[in-house]
Amino acid sequence: MKRSWIGFLASLALFGVAWAQRSDTIVIAQGVDVTVLDPNNQLETPTANVLANIFDTLYMRMPDGTARPWLATSVRAINPTTWEMTIRQGVKFHNGEDLTAETVKWNFDRVIDPQRPLRISNSWANLASVQVVNPTTLRFITKNPFPVFVTRLTGFYILPQKYVTEGGNRYLQEPVGTGPYKFVRWVRDQQFELEANPNYWAGAPKIRRAIFRPIPEASSRVAELVSGGVDIITNLVPEAVNAVRASGAAEVRSVPSIRNIFIMLNTSGKADSPLANPKVRLALNYAVDKRTIVKNVLGGFGQPIGCSLNSYIFGYDARSCQPYEYNPARAKQLLAEAGYPNGFTMTLGSPNGRYLNDRQVAEAVVGQLAQVGVRAELRVQEWSTYVGQILERRIPTDAVLLGWGNNEFDADNSLYSLFYGGTVRGGPRQVAFSYIRSVPLDNALLQAQRTTDPEQRKKLYLDALRVLRAESPWIFLHQQEDIYGVAKRVDWKPRPDERLFVAEMAFK
Amino acid sequence: MSLLSPHLPTLQMLTYLVRRLLLVLVVVWGTATLAFFLLFLSGDPVNLLLPLDATPEVREQFRKANGFDRPVWQQYLSYMGRALQGDLGISLRNQTPALGLVLERMPASMVLAGAALLFAVIFGVLAGVIAAVRKGTTLEFVVLFFALLGQSLPVFWLALMLILVFGLELRWLPISGYGAGPIPGLPALANLVLPAIAVGTFSMAAITRLTRGGVLRELRSDHVRTARAKGLSERVIIYKHALRNAAIPVVTVIGLQLGNLLSGAVITETIFAWPGVGRLVLTAVTQQDFPVVQAAVIVFAVLLAVINLVVDLLYGVLDPRVRYA
Repeated sequence: MKRSWIGFLASLALFGVAWAQRSDTIVIAQGVDVTVLDPNNQLETPTANVLANIFDTLYMRMPDGTARPWLATSVRAINPTTWEMTIRQGVKFHNGEDLTAETVKWNFDRVIDPQRPLRISNSWANLASVQVVNPTTLRFITKNPFPVFVTRLTGFYILPQKYVTEGGNRYLQEPVGTGPYKFVRWVRDQQFELEANPNYWAGAPKIRRAIFRPIPEASSRVAELVSGGVDIITNLVPEAVNAVRASGAAEVRSVPSIRNIFIMLNTSGKADSPLANPKVRLALNYAVDKRTIVKNVLGGFGQPIGCSLNSYIFGYDARSCQPYEYNPARAKQLLAEAGYPNGFTMTLGSPNGRYLNDRQVAEAVVGQLAQVGVRAELRVQEWSTYVGQILERRIPTDAVLLGWGNNEFDADNSLYSLFYGGTVRGGPRQVAFSYIRSVPLDNALLQAQRTTDPEQRKKLYLDALRVLRAESPWIFLHQQEDIYGVAKRVDWKPRPDERLFVAEMAFK
Repeated sequence: MSLLSPHLPTLQMLTYLVRRLLLVLVVVWGTATLAFFLLFLSGDPVNLLLPLDATPEVREQFRKANGFDRPVWQQYLSYMGRALQGDLGISLRNQTPALGLVLERMPASMVLAGAALLFAVIFGVLAGVIAAVRKGTTLEFVVLFFALLGQSLPVFWLALMLILVFGLELRWLPISGYGAGPIPGLPALANLVLPAIAVGTFSMAAITRLTRGGVLRELRSDHVRTARAKGLSERVIIYKHALRNAAIPVVTVIGLQLGNLLSGAVITETIFAWPGVGRLVLTAVTQQDFPVVQAAVIVFAVLLAVINLVVDLLYGVLDPRVRYA
């Protein structure tokens, strides 16, 4: 009794101050820390999640997946290789600098400068030049038609030109943007503090202060949430869902993510491989019970899906993306028709810990394939080796489990990047992930890259999806869900793009 | 130098020191070389740093920009050349000097290791002496049982249990993080307690067993019998005659443990979100951030070599018969 009193008093003394501050401060825990403070020189979700509160983009991704004008007020295509943009007037950076068309041009020039490539430069390789028409209007000249121009604007942050060019390296230590929150302080691996920008052009945010904390261990994140130490935790594991629900202090909120999980079938250079036969590939799709996997392995956090797109993505077609039904009898019949009445032996690779319960998903697939006579041997590999083999097209197994998060919300990123087979004369080379070679597919994918007309692009992607449905090149599994633990006092709905915009949060 | 032991000639001591310091250099060079080639074997970091849909041309460009396209011996020579000037490269992830990232996190690791060591030594020596003096009693059995337990518990389990009991159930101590202590740069004391116990328990158990063994041996020795015959009090006999002589192996182990505590706190630092080097290295290894891993290896090699040297020098203080030649 006496000991617990001492403990209680000691914790009061130590944390009293911290508690007092908590009422106007939201604390968010992610698995890893911010790495760099230049938003256009990074490609990491946890870093972008923090910096997107300080910096604005020209277009904003909405929770339904569409892109809406933000620092730009409008963008229109003048011809297939010219876009005209108007800039919002009266916007100021946190240091008082004005946002002008000149600022925007400088930002793009910086990203496409071949002498000093940044991590996002790859996405803007198609941009030739940017011209300032008047203080609020710009023209973007592209090398080729650039249909994903607008969607890519949602990942392009605007930095203050003077501050960056005249302040030395200061912009890499104390970032200044136009966003709803201002940078206060960053102590690496400890915390990243933000405070509300009362003069934000879209209205002052409701929460005054925000702290991002990196807590790498999943169970420590849960413990912090349950004990009231933090308000939002990312990447909640299904195993911890009940603990959070039972705590009474927090709840589980999830959202279908932009990431699909599938099994790539490696058919390269093996004409006699059973996997080279479309009937066999279709049989494998019928043999896997996606619903059961989602229910038992992912705790229900996912949705079976029959293609590499999902409903957020431009070009998605519900019919062509319907999940393959679970029908082991039909699978056996197809295998027999293909000449494998007794099944066959194959190997399946899987990472461990890269995607939600990835290894366990692969184990479940192995078990289900065995039901139709396909004896798959599972080989779990460390991620960096695994991904290297896939990118260099030297996969040691017949199949590999992989996930794809389409953060462009455009089919180009999930169809061209995954299936373009390089069959078009004079066209680009085959992409690393593609193992099928279909001229109609490649034509559709290339054409969709070369037109800016949305209706025509939709039609082309529909053609592509139909070819893929006929070929069943991979075993399509499910669309993941992102799972968050959120304190009950916080009013916030998770977004499919994983962003943590504090301006979208409020205390109840 | 004469402070260390009145019996030591200073010149002999100096040659010994110089020789040992040269050896430190060789050890550090060897470790750095080994780490360099092991990292090289672990694969190409470009695949992890760029998005999966980056084109082969972009990958190639990135490889070139970071020098990964050159033959391995060229990369090695240029690395060593720059390392000699104190430049251990730029972190691929954080895009800042790797050495700075490691040194920045050193204080947190040192504070944790120091606190863990303090915990281990105080409780370990105390428990060891008690077990030796109370040999054959239930108390000895209990102490030895916990010592065995302390050496067998996996650290991640212990850490999670500590969080569960003291952080979640009793809510006495914070669950994770460094906190802000009264002295800038140092953690809040409350934040330090659980990680220090988690890191220090293994060492504490080792020290308990060693101290018990040493004190038991000394208690049976001739000089203790003489001291008893002189009529000295039991307290003086145990602490001045037995414990001091039993301390030599204990100091050796403390030295070795300090290395473990500093470099081996990877799991504890991760579970408690402690901003130390262990956690940095873990992230760097999984991300193949070579320069950071390499910098950490070099810093630890220097540190461990120096700790070992200090331990060897300490022998002289404890046992005047030890000679440095």
